[in-house]
Amino acid sequence: MHDILNRPATEPQTGSSIIVEDLVFCYGSSPALKNISLEIPANGVTAFIGPSGCGKSTLLRCINRMNDEIPGTRITHGSIHVGGIDIYQKSVDVVKLRRDVGMVFQKSNPFPRSIYENVAYGLRLRGETNKSILDQAVQESLQAAALWDEVKDRLQESALGLSGGQQQRLCIARTIAVKPLIVLMDEPCSALDPIATSKVEELIWNLKEDYTFVIVTHSMAQAARVSDKTAFFYMGELIESGDTGKLFTNPTHKKTEDYISGRFG
Amino acid sequence: MNNQHIFRDFDKVMEALKGDVLLMASLTRQNLERAMRSLLERDIDLARTVIADDSDVDDLERKIDQSGMEILVRFHPVASDLRLVITSMKMAHNLERISDHAVNIAKRSKKICKASPLEEAALTEPLYSLADKLLRDALMAYTDANSELGEGLKLRDKELDRLHKQMIASLSARLEDSNGRSENLLHLIFVARSIERIGDLAVNIGEDAVFLGEARDIRHEHRKQPPTIE
Repeated sequence: MHDILNRPATEPQTGSSIIVEDLVFCYGSSPALKNISLEIPANGVTAFIGPSGCGKSTLLRCINRMNDEIPGTRITHGSIHVGGIDIYQKSVDVVKLRRDVGMVFQKSNPFPRSIYENVAYGLRLRGETNKSILDQAVQESLQAAALWDEVKDRLQESALGLSGGQQQRLCIARTIAVKPLIVLMDEPCSALDPIATSKVEELIWNLKEDYTFVIVTHSMAQAARVSDKTAFFYMGELIESGDTGKLFTNPTHKKTEDYISGRFG
Repeated sequence: MNNQHIFRDFDKVMEALKGDVLLMASLTRQNLERAMRSLLERDIDLARTVIADDSDVDDLERKIDQSGMEILVRFHPVASDLRLVITSMKMAHNLERISDHAVNIAKRSKKICKASPLEEAALTEPLYSLADKLLRDALMAYTDANSELGEGLKLRDKELDRLHKQMIASLSARLEDSNGRSENLLHLIFVARSIERIGDLAVNIGEDAVFLGEARDIRHEHRKQPPTIE
């Protein structure tokens, strides 16, 4: 069985590149992604931008096979390789894939448990029972998520008592506690105030040396601030991708220019 | 930028910004033309007008900078919009410096006009004519985002530099046998210097027009070229 993924938990962290080749993805018979080819480099931040319904979130969910859960959806052509492995091969263990390709959602979704248990959850699921290992992982993950100082004295309190921004950073801590290679983020700051947004962006920036981030965002300013590469999608097609600085100062395609400068439609 | 922005006010403020730059360019060129005419036609009143009108150019520079900053804060422009805002602010700075040179010329002209006629003043005419053409084309390059026109100015400025050197050599030679005209000849040398600097500033505007049109930064490119071995 393939496992990108089949690596000891103690292995040093490093991100992994993602290669999407000629991907066609359909909801029923209508294609939501049309022949997408895109290389997402390791240890960097790649932003997906585009109007609603353009396919950016669909592609994001393809990268850890979240779309498998939606009836009637299928990939009809192409492939996605993560760390050199075709993740749609039958031999890939999807549970392990999702451990290595973690996801943070638009709305923070802490479990109705303590702060500690939220972060330790993935490790316990993997069978970790050693308390000192769990303690260390919880502390390291909360520190990496820049939340430790705010919660270290109340780890046993309910995670639901945290503010929206803290809950989102807790979800990031929970995601990185299992040491993934890739972190997918679907509009992670859309429900946060500017200060909480800045904290999450700072966190992404600081963690990118260890992880590969892919972030879907509707905020052009956020894509420009936080990402190294940006990909622009429109009606299921990848219109343009490249260095964020270049794309936001001198895009190649008129459609990209019209969208990012607010002239769409 | 043919399509309308979804937020109509954005198009209005961008048009207003561009309009202010064009107005400033027109006033600057008028100041320069009047300063030179005051010198060539010995018109002190015209020189005084140039000195007084410079404050209008200064006011426009401040207005353009203020509008540019407001657009950056309110709309976060990107791509060609961002380049237009940045280029407009740089244009305003270059135009203000050109108008300052026009004022310098007007001040020297006032002093020259108070003395007896100076036939060498006519030597500045071809220099001015070339500098004004460079300035006119630089402004056109900005208005039309015409990179080709903007990029060509650097080479054309070399001719202005050559004429300037020639004129300085000629005036310096006359200084040795000036018969009490040395002060006015020195004023003329400074006028020529101002005209030469206006050519350089036109080249700067041309470089900014290339950035506006193609997002290409051609400044200081001569320094990037590897040394040639002969």
